Amino acid sequence: MDVKSTILSKYNAKVFKGRQDHLLEVDAGQTQEIAANARAVPGLMTNRGCCYAGCKGVVLGPLKDTCVITHGPIGCGFYSWGTRRNKARGDGEGRNFIQYCFSTDMQEPDIVFGGDKKLRQAIKEAVTIFHPKHVMICSTCPVGLIGDDIHAVAAEAEKDYGITCVAFSCEGYKGVSQSAGHHIANNGLMKRIIGADDTPPPSKYAVNLLGEYNIGGDGWEVERILKRVGYHVVSVFTGDGALADIARAHTADLNLVQCHRSINYVAEMMKTAYGTDWLKVNFIGLGSAAESLRRIAEFFGDQDLKNRTEEVIADELAAIEPDISYFKSRLEGRRAALFVGGSRSHHYQDLLRDFGVATVLAGYEFGHRDDYEGRQVIPRIKEDADSKNIETLTVAKDDKRYRAFLSPERYEELKSTIGLESYAGMIRDMPDGSWVVDDLNHFETEQFAKLLRPDIFFSGIKDKYVLQKSGVLSRQLHCYDYSGPYAGFRGAVIFGRDLTMGLYAPAWKMVTPPWKAGDREGDAANA
Amino acid sequence: MSTNLANLNTNPCKMCVPLGAVTAIYGLQRAMSLLHGSQGCSTYIRRHLATHYNEPIDIASSSLTEEGTVFGGEANLVKGLDNLIKLYEPEVIAIMTTCLAETIGEDVPAIIQRYRESRPELKTTLIPVSSAGYSGTHFEGWFRAVRALLSQIKMNLAPHGGLNIITGPASPADMRSLKNFLNGCGLPYTLLPDISQNLDGGHNPVYNRLPSGGTPLAEAAAMAGARLTLELTAFCPPEISPGALLEERYHVPLLRLNAPLGLRDTDALVKTLESLGAKVPQAVREERSRYCDAMIDAHKYSALGRAALFGEPDLVLGLARLCAENGLVPVVAATGGHYPGFEAKLRAEIGPTADNALVERFSVLNFADFEAIEYQALANGTNILVGSSEARRIEERHHIPLVRCAFPIHDHVGGQRVRTWGYSGALALLDRLANTLISRQDSTYRSALRQQFYQPEPAARPRSQAERTGRHPCFSPSACATQARLHLPVAPACNISCNYCVRKYDCPNESRPGVAAQVLSPAEALARFLKFKDSTSTFSVVGIAGPGDSLADWSRTADTLSLIRQADPGVTFCLSTNGLMLPLHAARLIELGVSHVTITINAVNPDIGAKIYAHVDYFGHRYQGRTGAALLLANQLAGLKMLTEAGLVVKVNTVLLKGINDEHVVEVVQKVAGLGAYISNIMQLIPVAGSAFENMSMVSNRAHQELRKRCGQYLSQMNHCRQCRADAAGLLGQDRSIEFQPAPQPVAPAVKPGAAVKIAVVSKSGVVVDQHFGQADRFYIYESDGREVRLLETRPIRRAGGGPSLCGGSCGGGEARQPGFTATLVEAVGDCNCVLALRIGESPSQRLKEKGIAAVATYDNIDRAVREAARGLAC
Repeated sequence: MDVKSTILSKYNAKVFKGRQDHLLEVDAGQTQEIAANARAVPGLMTNRGCCYAGCKGVVLGPLKDTCVITHGPIGCGFYSWGTRRNKARGDGEGRNFIQYCFSTDMQEPDIVFGGDKKLRQAIKEAVTIFHPKHVMICSTCPVGLIGDDIHAVAAEAEKDYGITCVAFSCEGYKGVSQSAGHHIANNGLMKRIIGADDTPPPSKYAVNLLGEYNIGGDGWEVERILKRVGYHVVSVFTGDGALADIARAHTADLNLVQCHRSINYVAEMMKTAYGTDWLKVNFIGLGSAAESLRRIAEFFGDQDLKNRTEEVIADELAAIEPDISYFKSRLEGRRAALFVGGSRSHHYQDLLRDFGVATVLAGYEFGHRDDYEGRQVIPRIKEDADSKNIETLTVAKDDKRYRAFLSPERYEELKSTIGLESYAGMIRDMPDGSWVVDDLNHFETEQFAKLLRPDIFFSGIKDKYVLQKSGVLSRQLHCYDYSGPYAGFRGAVIFGRDLTMGLYAPAWKMVTPPWKAGDREGDAANA
Repeated sequence: MSTNLANLNTNPCKMCVPLGAVTAIYGLQRAMSLLHGSQGCSTYIRRHLATHYNEPIDIASSSLTEEGTVFGGEANLVKGLDNLIKLYEPEVIAIMTTCLAETIGEDVPAIIQRYRESRPELKTTLIPVSSAGYSGTHFEGWFRAVRALLSQIKMNLAPHGGLNIITGPASPADMRSLKNFLNGCGLPYTLLPDISQNLDGGHNPVYNRLPSGGTPLAEAAAMAGARLTLELTAFCPPEISPGALLEERYHVPLLRLNAPLGLRDTDALVKTLESLGAKVPQAVREERSRYCDAMIDAHKYSALGRAALFGEPDLVLGLARLCAENGLVPVVAATGGHYPGFEAKLRAEIGPTADNALVERFSVLNFADFEAIEYQALANGTNILVGSSEARRIEERHHIPLVRCAFPIHDHVGGQRVRTWGYSGALALLDRLANTLISRQDSTYRSALRQQFYQPEPAARPRSQAERTGRHPCFSPSACATQARLHLPVAPACNISCNYCVRKYDCPNESRPGVAAQVLSPAEALARFLKFKDSTSTFSVVGIAGPGDSLADWSRTADTLSLIRQADPGVTFCLSTNGLMLPLHAARLIELGVSHVTITINAVNPDIGAKIYAHVDYFGHRYQGRTGAALLLANQLAGLKMLTEAGLVVKVNTVLLKGINDEHVVEVVQKVAGLGAYISNIMQLIPVAGSAFENMSMVSNRAHQELRKRCGQYLSQMNHCRQCRADAAGLLGQDRSIEFQPAPQPVAPAVKPGAAVKIAVVSKSGVVVDQHFGQADRFYIYESDGREVRLLETRPIRRAGGGPSLCGGSCGGGEARQPGFTATLVEAVGDCNCVLALRIGESPSQRLKEKGIAAVATYDNIDRAVREAARGLAC
């Protein structure tokens, strides 16, 4: 029996049918289609989170100048408190809300009689104690059901306290995964924040970094490189980010999109409203970081900038070359599986390739078909009941602020030469015969680990111990196992080091007890 | 059902009910959990538990979507159960509800019933658990799951003479050690739940996805036939107690003990087991004696500990008892939920330990978040934090070390192996506490000593003199109308004796320097500062002006300044002194960021000084006459120069003494102007009864003004001085210090001296009298004879419609809340002699008086306020 049938045969007929289109073996010559962004199967232990996690946890959580209040019972706020390892520096006035968790801690009477009174008081207390300029309200499951009007409360707070207060109806049950929450957060930022401050950038080559959440300091490494070449980063969405900067995002010349899944809505809407072009980049991996830098320079078209780009690439690569080649010698020939959120499973394949590690499986927790197959499929994606529930914001051209950086001819030219405003998806970069699995669950993770025998499985904490107890090294790519950064040039060295320390950890060779010598298969993964 | 006191929970100290429930189910063999709701709950909880236990955590979800919220979640739940059973074949599935399922009103027991009926071949035992996230904390979730299990499985009633042991949440390692101990006792028992294996497994050749450790279902079923249930928890509410269920339904007697944390509670468990026929193993006896030995060895470190304890209520009680038996004073004990009796039990435990160590202030908090814990920890002088890793932010911010010994531990490894239970667990924890205190002492006390005796070089002053002075009410006439200041009376001692002064601390009717109603400890000063800051928007200056000399007892002043500087880096510090100790402490003052100093210099000629100063105490010697005056003068001038050279703003006060220095003042002003003083303040003498100059006549106002004019040529003059109290608060001329003081003695019907009186207290925090009478949602009823203070009961206020107040104190007060509410309140305290509240309106005050009940408005620590009121009533 082939891999797919082996796995699916354990399911009942209904699940078999439901899951079969979410698994595919890459056939390099073919255009392949995958099912994605569909409801998770109950009871199978999906790794997915909820809409609230996408909105509060992913997009709004990293904002350091913003007091994000979770309106709901205590659990959701607690579990999304400092758990994504977004790093942030204070804003100079001693404000850094990253360390805090604010919740209305709803109790039974609040569910019965309504929680808006409590929310109103909570905002008042937050304003009195912490003096935030921005307050964001994120609702949890019960709030939508009991009908608290959080948007009215937010509007009232703006009037009463002279702050920016935006409410997000991101109840956990909306959509089918975190992805719905990203969209809701994108809409809120677009509607209320972007465009609020017209201060022009201090220098030319102004860019925004979209979909970079500064996990383990990734964003800092990327910013370092961009600045070195000569770019000015107006705002970052949203790692080490500030709403005060995001309010000026429309003054930038170009949007760089790192995580396509979570932020492409903002990129598209900014193009419509302000004329800002966007470019899909990837700063994970040496080759892809260099290539991204070259494409950005090409966008601006300035020869000095291009020269400077080449100098920086050469210099950065030279500085890390000895480390990289050492780690490569230790890692070459290993096989990896990746199962991360909505973009890293693709990005990290580039970095693994730099070390000679082949990908045998990759999947997204909450990717859409365009993240797998490329944006050209978007018009053909059928809208279902769950995606219809998420508002699609229609933005209009802002005549006052609209600014086309490129001439129409240059724009068309760059579309084909540097892939402006396009993303080709993950599948086409994957080796023939490797596997793509959408919404991998606990059971399938275990089965694939057995059948494909990867040396290392990149995933999250929920399957980490399942894998390691099965004898497969696991590295978390959500939080980097408290390491990082992995992005850019210097990050690649840390990644190589971490992989090497994991695969060569002495313990792997010592797990067989003396009274059972030679009993365990695959024990010496590293012999 | 309870209402929360705060509206904004900042950095929570509790998790949700389903988390506790799924953790408990991990203590059952071949069992799994399915959360009925949105999949995020399951994902978040899996992530959270896996980070702490470093074990696979597999919790299924019914993955409800928006459709499910409209049409109900039965279809999803059924699918979820089918899949879980097919792939994992668990023996038991616990189905927990979430906020979502409870809010849409899912009838899970009925769904399960239908599921069972439609699948007669089903072998899996299904247990619905009602666990809305808003119905308590993870602590209650644990017991809810255990109780749900025992109430729903088919029990085996055959009597077997074994014991049931039911515990609250604990680490797998503690559970293992408890089992070892029980195994050695020779009594048959069933431990439920038993997470020792499933949440702390090993690395095995084959990974088994179904948790194979834990209590077997058959053993749990046989608990109905046991001879006795021992339930090791103090705070599990009776309505969700598994032991109570076994007692009610199957008549298994229930005995409750505290969790075996610390010597006394482990002794209690051992004794109980002995009385049931256990033989205590020799190894355990040895562990006890080893722990005692360690307690004695460590006492000198333990006794210096001032701990903040936080977490589940059983844990906090156990930790407090362990600390207390080691002489380590818990100055904060906090739990995230609300548990009746928590406060009383903790106060009873901590009170004597605190008294013994002369610790005046400690706080017991229900419904606490880490914001409240941090605040109280700082105010109470905490030097060690004990509990979960969520306090790591406090550790980072304030450099107070954290001993991680409770769930969740997210930033260290080994959370699953933390030991606290039994003699050996207590020993392990004690060693960690003592070592933490030792390393702290080792790393700080030398530098503290050095700072005290060998001052480092003064740091450069960042802000300009003009900028700093413009905002100081005592130095700038324009600021005095807008900028409030707070004088903190922390320095009672004085080291010189001026002939115009008699220092009395308590004289609320007087307003002059050297007077304060009460002397504060540095921690109390911090608390007053924070309170004042909250109430005043124009606040800019904190001063220390006695009531003695600010530098005579240096450590009190230094501690106060550093505490406040930590809490508010932006505040301006000023300080007034006679200047005797100024050369010694000037550098440290500068380092602490004191920017304004007032020195009282009455003479620059020792012969004249000799007439003003009776004596001067300096390094253990008393100098009199000319010698004393010369010594003082030399230090004053040297100190003044040090300060002005470092860029500080110095004001020189001079008291005008007719016939002694009135001719000499010009010389004084010329001299200090030459040394860089910024302003001079020539003050009229206030003749004080009992002082040597009691009968001295004052210089006429006219002469005073002329003198100021003459001196104005040399140095600008302060003409707006109000001669403040040492505890002045607010704007110059609008003293608000009365608001920040303990209450005046109540005017009330006299009670026989020494007799105990009943006093009702209105309080939100349960620690401080901090709530308006009209906003009371409960009264704390105390009894006191002026010495002992005892909490008799907490009396909730029922509204006319019944049920506790839902307003949480946030909606107006008094009659506005509900007609006749005042009458209800007055009636509720009918048996008391006195009521203490932050404020009491005129009308309720009158009504209380008519009933012979004294009403006292105060803001103070409850114990102290009650004691004082009782004394007042008795005289």
